[in-house]
Amino acid sequence: MATEEDASPPETCDGPGAGPEYEMSDRARRIVEEQGRSLREEGMLPSKVFNDDGIFEAELRQIFGRHWVFVGHESEIPEPGDYAQRRIGRDPFIFVRGEDGEVRVLFDSCSHHGSKLCRAEQGNTSHFRCPYHGWTFKNTGDLAGVPLKHQAFKGLDPEEWGLHEAPRVTNYKGMVFACLREDAPDFEEYLGDFAWYLDIQLEIGKGGMEVVGEPKRWIADSDWKSGADNFAADSYHTGVTHRSALDVGFGAEEISGTAGQETHRHVTHVDAGSTSLRLLHPDDEIYYGYPNEFVDTSSLSEDQRRMAAACGAETGTIFPNLSFIHVAATDDPDDDLAGYLAFRQWQPLEAGKMQAWSWILAPADASDEYKQRAHDVGMATFAGPSGNFEQDDMAVWDGVSEAAGSVYAERHEFKLNYQMGRPGMSEAEIDEDWYGPGLGWDDNLEEGTLRTFHGNWNKAMSGEEVGMSYPEDHI
Amino acid sequence: MSKQEPEDATAGRSDVELQHEVEQFYYREAELLDDRDLEAWLDLLTEDVEYAMPTRLIREKAAERSPFSETSFNYHEDRSTLESRVDRFGSEFAWSDDPPARTRHYVTNVRVGDPDGEELPVKSNLLLFWAQRENDDTLVSCERHDRLRRVDGDLKVARREVRLDHNVVPMKNISVFL
Ligand code: FES
Ligand SMILES: [Fe+2]
Repeated sequence: MATEEDASPPETCDGPGAGPEYEMSDRARRIVEEQGRSLREEGMLPSKVFNDDGIFEAELRQIFGRHWVFVGHESEIPEPGDYAQRRIGRDPFIFVRGEDGEVRVLFDSCSHHGSKLCRAEQGNTSHFRCPYHGWTFKNTGDLAGVPLKHQAFKGLDPEEWGLHEAPRVTNYKGMVFACLREDAPDFEEYLGDFAWYLDIQLEIGKGGMEVVGEPKRWIADSDWKSGADNFAADSYHTGVTHRSALDVGFGAEEISGTAGQETHRHVTHVDAGSTSLRLLHPDDEIYYGYPNEFVDTSSLSEDQRRMAAACGAETGTIFPNLSFIHVAATDDPDDDLAGYLAFRQWQPLEAGKMQAWSWILAPADASDEYKQRAHDVGMATFAGPSGNFEQDDMAVWDGVSEAAGSVYAERHEFKLNYQMGRPGMSEAEIDEDWYGPGLGWDDNLEEGTLRTFHGNWNKAMSGEEVGMSYPEDHI
Repeated sequence: MSKQEPEDATAGRSDVELQHEVEQFYYREAELLDDRDLEAWLDLLTEDVEYAMPTRLIREKAAERSPFSETSFNYHEDRSTLESRVDRFGSEFAWSDDPPARTRHYVTNVRVGDPDGEELPVKSNLLLFWAQRENDDTLVSCERHDRLRRVDGDLKVARREVRLDHNVVPMKNISVFL
């Protein structure tokens, strides 16, 4: 398994991370500065950020080229030789388990003339053979064969021409992340205190959590940030956007419905993340809807266990584009609620356009029957394009990017209201008794969660290290 | 609901008559879907219908595995979950269905197989035009693998697998049946 320590750069002609520094255009820089100022001083967001070519170009480099991005879950490639095509930003990588059992993230471009090596979405192979001139690479990335080498490439040292690897790769409790910046902080440092929340998601299931089925993928004319911001989390929209799904009974009102109930919590300023918690009473032992026999809290602290026991639904975003929802819901209003965890990645395609990826996970030691139900409940609710909740999110976000791309929005510096939870706006107050890390709020009618995401965006775009904390980054 | 007695799926028709009947059945179904008369569409399905749309994957020839997932789906429905989905579309808050999508189901290449017990295996190709707002129109192409049954003399869908030609769903949401 690749770890932080052994993910050393491959022996190639020109080590990764050696490229020139990126210079953002003055125009993009002005938008970033205005975003930071208006977010901090007014709780507003220039709508331009949701659809602008200059901003998008800068995001690919400043955000996706410099920060930890989710690549896949190790349970997707359990056997040596298993591989899957993945993207870091828009860049093509191969997520592969080598014959030595190690997970690697290889740049999908032949070291000869650059053809893509991975032509299928998923599969198992001992070698990747380039379809152009036939160079062959082991599933570890090593160059294994060069056709007509003795006539054509006598002096070539195969050791120097293996596939490039992402410069930094880490396996965090089964979740594999990669970073294209050599000198980035370690993943644990980057994630910071949000580990407390992420660990609950990954450890609550008996035997850990495992991916059920291949990820679902679909496209939308929405900016990648609309998804990240919504899951970061926007608790205000659920009772409106998702009213029809609630009315029919695909989820419980107290878990997925109207915001502002006494037990709801928002947690902001948790370094790389923020989260929304639909808590019930801890004595309910709801554990996101899992049957008790599939729950294992032995690795959790007392406070983590207390939170999980009360949690009916949780959503969150880890900067930049990985979100999750962990929820008790149902595919059939006549059936019981069942829990599942879904990770969502918002892949940038172009300004105002994204491709969504969704992975559904269930406790690894759950029965096959439960795993399929968890999948079906996920599919039918929040975890895919046909979800009875999900359908309506995508139906509203594309309106944001369309208007954001307008000349009017640019010329009139059209700004969006992100003020909920700022002084004088809502009744939500800082919860002094909040027992988890970050800044806890005593209800979820506040948007500090979203501002946390956009605050991290500002830091990343400004070339600073990501990580929001209170009171330093009060917004 | 009275128990549905097994009936001869061909009803003694000749191949040509059966081909005609099956095609007319699909045209009628397409019309109901395009008119968004989903309650009437549900009547074309058996009580024990299975309706699935597996995730499609791009795999190598050598993989010798189906490109259709056995565990990941965008539809994995029975009658009850389908009815609940239709109920939701009836709500005034179902944004994905309001304004109603403009759809056109083009059904072609209908291949009626040999009867298998009381069921008739039929494959068909489907091209769907879909648009909800301005500039979001898209085409979706798939093959449908159906098992048809005859109930009280009428054909009904007992099982359908919608086999998309897309690995990435080219729509912002799937709020239609195919
Ligand atoms: S580009 Fe791969 S072998 Fe030439
Ligand atoms: Fe939503």
